[in-house]
Amino acid sequence: MNEVRGKFHQELRDLEGEVLRVGDEAADMVSRAVRALVKRDDELARGVIISDDVVDRMYLDIERRILDAFALQAPVASDLRLLSTMLHINLHLERIGDQAVNVSKMSLAARSLPSDETIMLHLTEMGDIVGAMLRTALEAFARRDLELCMRLPAMDDPVDELNRGMYRHVVRLSGDAAALEWGIRMNVVARQLERVGDNAVDIGEQVAYLLTGEFREFTDASHRDGSASSAEGDHGDERT
Amino acid sequence: MSVPNPAQVRSADPGDPPPDDAVQAEPRGTTIESVDLRVAFASNEVLHGVSVAAATQSVTAVIGPSGCGKSTFLRALNRMHDEVRGARVTGKVLFDGMDIYDSSVDPVLVRTRIGMVFQRANPFPTMSVRDNVTAGLRLQGRRSKKEMNDEAERSLRRAGLWEEVKDRLEEPGGKLSGGQQQRLCIARALAVEPEVLLMDEPASALDPASTLRIEQLIEELKTTYTVIIVTHNMQQAARISDWTLFLLNGDLVEFGPTERIFTAPTDSRTEDYVTGRFG
Repeated sequence: MNEVRGKFHQELRDLEGEVLRVGDEAADMVSRAVRALVKRDDELARGVIISDDVVDRMYLDIERRILDAFALQAPVASDLRLLSTMLHINLHLERIGDQAVNVSKMSLAARSLPSDETIMLHLTEMGDIVGAMLRTALEAFARRDLELCMRLPAMDDPVDELNRGMYRHVVRLSGDAAALEWGIRMNVVARQLERVGDNAVDIGEQVAYLLTGEFREFTDASHRDGSASSAEGDHGDERT
Repeated sequence: MSVPNPAQVRSADPGDPPPDDAVQAEPRGTTIESVDLRVAFASNEVLHGVSVAAATQSVTAVIGPSGCGKSTFLRALNRMHDEVRGARVTGKVLFDGMDIYDSSVDPVLVRTRIGMVFQRANPFPTMSVRDNVTAGLRLQGRRSKKEMNDEAERSLRRAGLWEEVKDRLEEPGGKLSGGQQQRLCIARALAVEPEVLLMDEPASALDPASTLRIEQLIEELKTTYTVIIVTHNMQQAARISDWTLFLLNGDLVEFGPTERIFTAPTDSRTEDYVTGRFG
């Protein structure tokens, strides 16, 4: 027998392509935001902020089309799970775009302040890891690869660790008001990058739901081991 | 088991008084189970050994593409193939543990306890609304006029039709609207006090409002009866059933909770069918 909902399934494929395009754009924004920070490249940072308009437009268009599909096509089974997954992934990607913008805003705000090499190295490492996490999450979605999804929590651990350690490094700058101001802004950058990592894990959870039909969080943010560390600069916003 | 009756459910909102049509009946649902059920017409076997048990006081939807054996399966559950020349049924249909195909079982009695509602409403067109409802009762033997009238009212109330026809009881059944005629047929089926209701696409010939009225009625009836419904409308199956059975080319492919069948079916053929990758 023949495919009887060809147009709807073509729309699902088109939407998936659009979601992956937003993912590429968001990943590129994060990469450029960290590079602009490290290289103190104001133009590059401003470019990241402008790019967010593109991501926002794509996000809104995708969300409208997904809601249309829910309203008009009565999706079930894997179609239902795919639409639900894309609705969530789309939102996570839009937030990642916002987090890249926040990194760039901190870059611009701190550009005349003295920097610290150790903190910069840690932020560079965080940027590399969350970039890899985002690519892994998107690849897991494109390839329907559960094993890739399951790698994400372990990839996220060093990001969380670097984020928690950032506070201590910033405190060491307290003898110099300008350096401290820079450090405080870099603490915000670390927090934004840590959130990018969390969003990548959330995308992996959504892909796992798509593949298995069961939704579960990879990690329980409320009852993690080593919770004492949250009093030491984590600012309490683990993944929710 | 304590089963809330629809009147209690519907009157839960204090601003919404129980309607006059509220169903008042003792739960009558009974387990019905097919065991290696096969149906052939001449040399052509169209149902290949279906084994499934319908849960008591629930709605089981039978879905599948045209020609998959849905109606054949349903009709085998109350021996309707007995009347078809060349039809051969093997396997068992256990009704409360008793095989309805056992030679000692009276098929007429089977059909009173396992009622059937068809795709097209088929009231006796010139017979009055009241007599349509009690037609089956009259076949069962002599009852007083008062008993007949009481049963007509009770069945029409259970079918959610009483308020609409209580002043038209002597009019011909054929003068009612299509949706009303279908509920009249449901009332007729209920009058003989069945325990299982088989429904073969009962809303497929109705407009959307009448369809929703039938669906609401099925929701109410399942608190009293075991309902098995064949439907081509998968959204209808998703809305009203607790269990879904997917047939393909005469084989049972998958049977499970409706929520699972429509969100994460386990068999790829079910997945392909419900998502329209074939049909």
